[in-house]
Amino acid sequence: MEALIVEGLSKDFGGVHAVSNISFCVGVGERLVIIGPNGAGKTTLFNLINGQLSPTAGRIYFYGQDITDIPTHRRAHLGQARSFQVISLLLNLTVVDNTLLSLHGTKPSRFQMLRSMKSFVNVFTEAQAILEAAALWEKRDEAVKNLSYGEQRRLEIALSLVSKPKLLLLDEPSSGLTRDESFEIIQLIKNLGEKITVLIVDHDMDLVFGVAGRIMVLHYGQVIADGTPEVIRIDQKVREIYMGVEECSDHAGVS
Amino acid sequence: MGLQTRTSLRRQEKASIWKGYLRMEQLVINLLNGISYGMVLFLIASGMSVVMGAMNITNLAHGVLYMIGGYVGWTVAVKFGASFWIGALAGGLAAGLVGMGIERGFLRFLYKQGNEQVLLTFGFVYILTNLSLWIWGGWPRMPFTAEFLSGSFGIMGRVYPKARMANIVIGSFMAVLLWWLQDRTRVGAMVRAGMDNKEMAMGLGINLERVFALVFFFASFIAGVAGVLGAQLMGVYNALGLDVLLLALIVIIVGGVGSVQGALLGGLLIGVIDAFGRALFPKFAMFTMYFTMIVILLVRPSGLLGRRV
Amino acid sequence: MMQRINRTIFNPYLLTIAILVVAPLLFSTYIQTVITRFLIFGLFALGYNLAFGYTGLLSLGHAAFFGAGGYTVAVLKLRYSSDLFWIGAPLGIVVATLIALVFGFVALRVSGVYFLLVTFALGQLLFSVAWNVKWLNSPGMQGISGLSLPSLGFGFNLGTTSFYYLVLLIFVICFFVLYHVVHSPFGRALAGIREGETRMQSLGYNTWLYKYLAFVISGIFAGVAGVLFGYYNYLISPTHLGVGTSFLPMVMTIIGGIGTLSGPVIGAALLIFVEHFASILTPDRWPLILGGMFVLAIMFTREGIGVYLWKLWNRVSNRYGSAHR
Repeated sequence: MEALIVEGLSKDFGGVHAVSNISFCVGVGERLVIIGPNGAGKTTLFNLINGQLSPTAGRIYFYGQDITDIPTHRRAHLGQARSFQVISLLLNLTVVDNTLLSLHGTKPSRFQMLRSMKSFVNVFTEAQAILEAAALWEKRDEAVKNLSYGEQRRLEIALSLVSKPKLLLLDEPSSGLTRDESFEIIQLIKNLGEKITVLIVDHDMDLVFGVAGRIMVLHYGQVIADGTPEVIRIDQKVREIYMGVEECSDHAGVS
Repeated sequence: MGLQTRTSLRRQEKASIWKGYLRMEQLVINLLNGISYGMVLFLIASGMSVVMGAMNITNLAHGVLYMIGGYVGWTVAVKFGASFWIGALAGGLAAGLVGMGIERGFLRFLYKQGNEQVLLTFGFVYILTNLSLWIWGGWPRMPFTAEFLSGSFGIMGRVYPKARMANIVIGSFMAVLLWWLQDRTRVGAMVRAGMDNKEMAMGLGINLERVFALVFFFASFIAGVAGVLGAQLMGVYNALGLDVLLLALIVIIVGGVGSVQGALLGGLLIGVIDAFGRALFPKFAMFTMYFTMIVILLVRPSGLLGRRV
Repeated sequence: MMQRINRTIFNPYLLTIAILVVAPLLFSTYIQTVITRFLIFGLFALGYNLAFGYTGLLSLGHAAFFGAGGYTVAVLKLRYSSDLFWIGAPLGIVVATLIALVFGFVALRVSGVYFLLVTFALGQLLFSVAWNVKWLNSPGMQGISGLSLPSLGFGFNLGTTSFYYLVLLIFVICFFVLYHVVHSPFGRALAGIREGETRMQSLGYNTWLYKYLAFVISGIFAGVAGVLFGYYNYLISPTHLGVGTSFLPMVMTIIGGIGTLSGPVIGAALLIFVEHFASILTPDRWPLILGGMFVLAIMFTREGIGVYLWKLWNRVSNRYGSAHR
């Protein structure tokens, strides 16, 4: 069974065709990276898969189930998780609060009204483990807005994994990060294991070619190329679009 | 006479009343009432709606501006005996100035805080209502109108107040004017641009601050003029601030936010529904408006002509 | 923002309760009625803040639930000659809850400012009903008069002081309950929704349901306060359902501080205090003063007086109290 099937997906905003009749499948455990110029529809596609937007046409199947009309929060329970292009963490709340909220999101205890959050000791222990792994335990009582940008990114990506999702959507995870920080992200994604399917949108060619098992190129809302990194690298259409970027990535010596 | 006969007599009475209402002239009269009231509602709501759409400011004091316009108009036209139209102008100016004062002196500083802005305007409802109570006292002012508009004229064998007709004419004229301003002028385009993308509009060299202050003044001005026009039907009284606000809100919820067309459609619809409601169920007339609002909320929350929420 | 309570003997909550318990021994019955009024509105504002401060739902129609509680008590007295607390209170709360369930559903069809407008309109709707429906009015007037303090059955009628203690008890219980709700996963989720609804949805929270529950719960507390008000006040009128009354918990919360549980209560105390003096000195200008305080609070206080008082308290007790934690 495919992890994700997208069939004839379209999204129009007034006269703008943000996404035009896109169809593709993603197998379980695949690492699919989606690239394309700004405005190509990549984030819109993510919003459609995760439910922030409703498609104008087309259907989406998640592990065989038609999720097109299912709201976002239910998709989280079905096994989706995502990070956002603009950091979506709750900036005014503390690191630990953000973590606990992320953990409770898919637990029935999230409706508990009379026991304090702190009394859920096992959840708290889980939170501690996550924060220690992300090297943020010391800063657990800091408001998220006081962390550095790199720390916030690191936290957001760490938190996207707490629900043990089947499908992870990462929207520009490396944007704004330093070379070292990007490298950490690449390592993290590489170590995620084969039970989890990962869709990534990014512009950093190191990350793209370092992580991708398959690359899909979007332009004006349509898929213009789809294949392994080697195939994409030499594709004529892609080269035309990425003329400038090609030079840079050649310089960086992408393997 | 037995109970049986009395009941059937009453049923006959009711039937004839209804038949009366279905007669052509009565229908037309009710329709005209609805439209003239609806025009006033349109004028009230349009300023508020455009400011909500363009500047993202919900001015809950809009009703009070209407009331101030009405009071000032009364003072000028009735107390000092000047022409009705001068009164309308004075009312508009007074409301415009007060509105501009609120925007320049207070709202401007809460630029990014949408919630605080709304609450602030509500604080002014209290302040301004109490101040006008202080200035004009608690007794309501009777409806007043221009010399040449007093009295009625004949229509379909019945008499109809000239004042109401005037509202329809003036309202239609204003509707066209406002629509023209919104869709066909540079100012209108600038406001719509600012609505969609503030930074971009400012980057294009549009002095958005000044445009917004102007829009706010103009919206308040119209509210004040509407206050004088509406005074022909409702008079002026101290609770107008909230009563009118409520009407404006219902019109906006029904018609949709941000456009002149929405305010017009909402206003006319509510006006007509209210007129027929009063004629058919006099005791529950008010509820026809609420009922319409609730139906719209359940079926099409963004309003009839509003952008999809 | 969770405030850490100083675990010294100067725990402010206990101290306040102690003062309030002892008050009737020190003050006249008149002062007791003023404090009772403060407790009732404090409760109203406390519940209101669950929706307003914690969830970010700006409502201008909460008096609908408050008034509903009061009217239930009043109608029981007028039409059924009963002032039995054990009937009036549960019934009043049920009525308020039902109205909250309906109003919440309609209002949450929209969000943001439109939500505010709809709650306002719905509150005024109820005002209209109370104004027009004969059954809800004493003959010859608007509203219902001749209300009295409740009886607990078997001829045991409450007096000013015993009613004071009843109100205090209910207030403390409600505060206790709300304290737990706010610190529970549900309560923290509300804060999360206020801060970032989109993110909360993608984490698995059915945000609409949370908002609905928060709204209804805050309506229930308003209903409780309304029931107490129905017994406390000599009469109930349509104004107690309208925006004039809905405005009050909002002002109290803004002045006292949105982010804390005790903020609205502090705001209520301040407001009742000032209102008390205004009613003696310039009763006609009270709305002006109220509006003025409100505008000043919005323009100049970032977090409300409540937070400022907490910080002051922490500083003082750190200096004089024993070390802790």
